[in-house]
Amino acid sequence: MEKTYYLGVDVGSVSTNLVMMDEEKNICEKLYLKTSGRPVDTLKEGLKCLAGHFGGAEIRGAGATGSGRQLAGMLIGADVIKNEISAHAVAASSVEPDVRTILEIGGQDSKIIFLRDGIVYDFAMNTVCAAGTGSFLDRQAARLDIPIEAFGGYALKSKNPVRIAGRCAVFAESDMIHKQQTGHCNEDIIAGLCEALARNYLNNLAKGKEICGPILFQGGVAANVGIVSAFKKILNQSVIIPRYYDVMGAYGAAILAKEELEASGDETRFCGFDSVYDDFTVQSMECKDCANMCEVIHISVNETPKACWGDRCGKWSAGAGKAQSGSRTG
Amino acid sequence: MVVTFPNMGNVAIAAKTLCQGLALPYVMPETNNSKTLAVGSYYAPEEICLPFKLILGNFILAARQGADTMWITGSCGPCRFGEYCELAMRTLKKLGYRTDFVVADLSSDVGVKEFIRRIGTVAAASPVHPVEKLRALRLAYQVVELCDRLDAKAYERAGYEVHKGECRRLLHEYKTKVRKTESPEETMEVLQDYGRRLDAVPADKSKNPLNVSIIGEIFTIIDPFSNLYIEEKLMGYGVSSKRMLSPSWWVKNMIGKPFRLGSRDVYKASDPYLKYSVGGHGKECVGEAALAKAQGMDGAIQVFPLGCMPEVVAKSILPVIQEDKGIPIMTLIVDEVTGEAGYITRIEAFLDLLKGRRNQNQKASHPRAALNMRQFPSKGV
Repeated sequence: MEKTYYLGVDVGSVSTNLVMMDEEKNICEKLYLKTSGRPVDTLKEGLKCLAGHFGGAEIRGAGATGSGRQLAGMLIGADVIKNEISAHAVAASSVEPDVRTILEIGGQDSKIIFLRDGIVYDFAMNTVCAAGTGSFLDRQAARLDIPIEAFGGYALKSKNPVRIAGRCAVFAESDMIHKQQTGHCNEDIIAGLCEALARNYLNNLAKGKEICGPILFQGGVAANVGIVSAFKKILNQSVIIPRYYDVMGAYGAAILAKEELEASGDETRFCGFDSVYDDFTVQSMECKDCANMCEVIHISVNETPKACWGDRCGKWSAGAGKAQSGSRTG
Repeated sequence: MVVTFPNMGNVAIAAKTLCQGLALPYVMPETNNSKTLAVGSYYAPEEICLPFKLILGNFILAARQGADTMWITGSCGPCRFGEYCELAMRTLKKLGYRTDFVVADLSSDVGVKEFIRRIGTVAAASPVHPVEKLRALRLAYQVVELCDRLDAKAYERAGYEVHKGECRRLLHEYKTKVRKTESPEETMEVLQDYGRRLDAVPADKSKNPLNVSIIGEIFTIIDPFSNLYIEEKLMGYGVSSKRMLSPSWWVKNMIGKPFRLGSRDVYKASDPYLKYSVGGHGKECVGEAALAKAQGMDGAIQVFPLGCMPEVVAKSILPVIQEDKGIPIMTLIVDEVTGEAGYITRIEAFLDLLKGRRNQNQKASHPRAALNMRQFPSKGV
């Protein structure tokens, strides 16, 4: 019998990840692409890549997550559109069923998720500041002219980490520059930065909460050995990095799609890999009909209006819903 | 004298009704929107909290339309709200507007004499008979009370509605209409009409929606723009929500407090966690969180503006209540950010969490779990 697959998509601020999962929840293929501010194009590119391997296979379901999940879900015809927190939790539980704490640091935000008896018990996300996230590390690596892949390795070589203020990205950067100008070496500064970020993350997100093992660390930043070792040092516990740490969100979306379709018994709504050749346009406008001045997004595929969101009163989204169901029956 | 007043939830509708009853000319502020925020934050001190930026935005936009008398509530508590009227006065003066401020402080804070003088300045400007003035005041209170009840009804019923989005549509409709009415009587008519319509919304009583309590800083929870329309979002997810703090609650609680009436249960529930008043509504927030589980709530969401001292104090206590009472509580901090993606992620994840916890409790087949189900809200305003 031919193998059947589930597609999981995670469109984040920095990376767009795609995962193909088989019926046994094994990851058969993963893609980690830079979003570069163009979520639609990046996703299409990812689908084109996958089409090469899986174009002929049966796709039983598709799930979307990440901050661009709505857009991505519309584009691929996702069966499940879920927030990243739930997706990460599901993925972590299937890798490590006893997991109690998930540290997740992505491009633009960071989260901590607490599980008890296999369900999400509590979670927290960074508030208004993006200090301590992947983009900030990227920026610092670029400033020091060190490839981001090698960035964490420098921290491990440090013998005497300096103290860096980790509370705010802007202050952290000036602190780093000041230390560098007084003559500290890059290794010590980077190690200091890693510790500052881990400290800031725990102070900010895990405040007043107990961190129990097993602890999973996932998200792109888990690749940074410097941050991992800083966490181990501060938490004084072992931290597990799952094999597919960088695509756990997409993996979770695929699992959720599988569970959803098995529970409902429905057929998938996945549009197929050919949908990348559809003409997908997104237009935004400010509705002037009342004082709310909502920013409304119109999505059309091959010039047929498909969906609409962003309005508070439901006037636009209700209309688009009709158009959508009309085009589906027609 | 052209009066104006800020958007503080339904207070603006009450103030409008009062102006109409007193036959005073007024400028009705637009519902808070990106323009209000842009103007307000341009002229406000950078570090002040979000409510001030919006209130200042309301005032400046109204002053441009000719308003010269600003009504605002005051406070002599430890939170920055007490600074608002002074700051707004100075800012408007600097901008070259000649405006008078009428600050509604409590008589216990400013003294009975001053309190009466302030009321006197409003009353003296009104040409209508003193009996009419009292009637206008009564009507204004009735209007705000009715508005708050309509809101509460819509937020609660959204979890039971058969046709998705009906409650939200009615809420939006009534809010738009009620801002345009020409007389107190017309306002009352609209409100009563929508009360009946909300009652008539087909409801499925067998639904057992998630119930969420909205707690936190009063301005940001009663002004939908500043909390990125959290209650409307919950309605969209088919969740029933409840919020104790409202303008009419504030009035009732103020009058009731000296007589040990008002929300005594809430204050009592907060005592084991927070014995003293920390300003704003920090004590209420803690008390409501402590009571939420017993009220049949699945969870609570605390909302406050960045830098709000009383709520920061409350926030640090909430994890303890969460453990003690076994109720999930999430905190959302709002500021000038209007990008909603991160905000929606948190809300959706929180609702997933609540669903998961509920399923797990039911699986544990607690016979009492059934008792925790809330009754379908009864009809009648």
